[in-house]
Amino acid sequence: MSVRTRLQELREGKSRQFGEKVGFYFLIVLLCLVSFFPVLWILRTALMPPADVVQFPVTYIPESPTLQNFQDAFDQQPLGRYLFNSFVVASGTAVLCVVLGSMMGYALARLEFRFKLPILMLILVSAMLPFFGRLIPLFELALEYDFLNSYFGLIIPYTAFQLPFAVWIFQAYFKELPDSLEEAGRIDGLTHLGVLFRIILPVSAPAMATTAVIVFIFAWNEFLFALTFMSEQKMYTVTVGIALYGGQFQNPWGTIMAAVFMAIVPLILLLVLFQTKIIEGLTEGIGK
Amino acid sequence: MATDVSKSPEDGGIGSSVKTKARRYRELQFTDAEMAVMLISPGLLFLAVISYYPILDTVWTSLHQGSVLLTRSETWVGLENYQTVIDDDSFWNAFKVSMIYTFVSVPIEMVLGLGLAILINRNFRGRYVALGAILFPWALPTIINAEIFAWLFHGQYGVINDILVRIGILDETFSFLAKPDAALYSMLFVTIWKTTSFVALILLAGLQSIPSDLYEAAKIDGASKIRRFWHVTLPLLKPVILVALIFRTLPAFQVFGLPYGLTDGGPGESTTTLVLWAHRETFNSLNFSEGAAAANLITIMALIICLIYVVVLYEPEVR
Repeated sequence: MSVRTRLQELREGKSRQFGEKVGFYFLIVLLCLVSFFPVLWILRTALMPPADVVQFPVTYIPESPTLQNFQDAFDQQPLGRYLFNSFVVASGTAVLCVVLGSMMGYALARLEFRFKLPILMLILVSAMLPFFGRLIPLFELALEYDFLNSYFGLIIPYTAFQLPFAVWIFQAYFKELPDSLEEAGRIDGLTHLGVLFRIILPVSAPAMATTAVIVFIFAWNEFLFALTFMSEQKMYTVTVGIALYGGQFQNPWGTIMAAVFMAIVPLILLLVLFQTKIIEGLTEGIGK
Repeated sequence: MATDVSKSPEDGGIGSSVKTKARRYRELQFTDAEMAVMLISPGLLFLAVISYYPILDTVWTSLHQGSVLLTRSETWVGLENYQTVIDDDSFWNAFKVSMIYTFVSVPIEMVLGLGLAILINRNFRGRYVALGAILFPWALPTIINAEIFAWLFHGQYGVINDILVRIGILDETFSFLAKPDAALYSMLFVTIWKTTSFVALILLAGLQSIPSDLYEAAKIDGASKIRRFWHVTLPLLKPVILVALIFRTLPAFQVFGLPYGLTDGGPGESTTTLVLWAHRETFNSLNFSEGAAAANLITIMALIICLIYVVVLYEPEVR
């Protein structure tokens, strides 16, 4: 008797667990569907012949898939050039942020000096300053010093915007390094600079990757400054190029979606390759 | 660089003759303070010129007579530019749009984000894919996201129309982006879709930092799941919620790309947010002084909102 009830209990518990599991996975699938649906729809639209795109009710699976839209996207506007521009600006920003950020982060985490806290505050507060409040003077500066329609005209402000984040990541990373690492270097007779270049630099690769990836994504995605600073079509970044496309062609949705897909491919690649790093980077210091 | 270093406050002490210092430098040996100056000054200079100087310059410009492109006016006009902005009805319309946008979207994102964070805060098969689903909307450029949803919401061929007609909610296609209220709601929908995930990530990190023995203790005391949520999770999560609130409110209040790409601020001015309005005023008429005044008003409003959050939510030394 008692054995049977226990069995029954077990079975009930198991079925409740099973029910919970089904409910849980239902929500996860729903989450994935809601999140990834737009990208599926971009692909679906981009692969359709233009005439099929503008039909209602809509067809969900392209019946005669074609790459025509991709061809048009590259022919009707210099999409390749836009992608290249974005790549140059985003990589330049990432490199500069890694260099300056690691220098500042190392000093703040591992060196003893005065005014450390005020300097850290100065760096972090600059991250909170509204972008639009900085746009007008920077536009005038860029105009005066001929930085409009140039890569550095965007790389420089982007670096300033993302530097606080870079410093934050690096100082958190360097703080965690054991003291013995530097001490060993000192005992071997290395100078401060020697320790920095021979010991710290090689082990800081993880922080560099985190910073570079997130800064790259930010710079790739930026629009307000890119729109204002890049007025020549051949200097458009991909966000500007896509935003200003359309109008001149009828029903360009297939072409626009093909261009959009090309613009987000690099982002998807970065997400797949560096997911853990990105999550670590975005949540560094949260809850500590 | 060398002059910088010699000015460093930490050295030049009692017996340190110039000779030994020069020798130290020749052998590339520096004190902590000297190293710090070398490592920090380039970045700090960057921030001074690109982040802090413009804020001050904007204040200066806003207090002088209409500066137009490169012709800097030196005539002091006090708060006249601010008066012009404040007297403009379209500024207040943009203010209203931005306030609705911010204070409808951010609370909804917080609630959904918390739900998502709790859902995902466990080990399960497929966690990698689920986290990818959370990261993907975050990584999309706002302006491209706007273009995508302009297509999804399309009044004639949009898939959202198709779905709503198929399941019978709509009888015929509806032009979401061509009607003032519907356009604003659509914009809210898009931003909630995109940024809930970021909130979820931040709150997830907060959840993972709550020590599990606290839950065990509450469990032993007989606290139900709901009570544990209210009395353990939520209070401990408060500082993280504050961070997420500020991280979301600042960009929401300054949104530009989403209305630019989704509706171009229309129909009429029903989705023209503050920055979209100020950007147009500044760069269409090239009146930089009024633009600067508007920029400062936006900055001040954003700071006030953050200050209110901090005053309401910040508790020094929780636990």
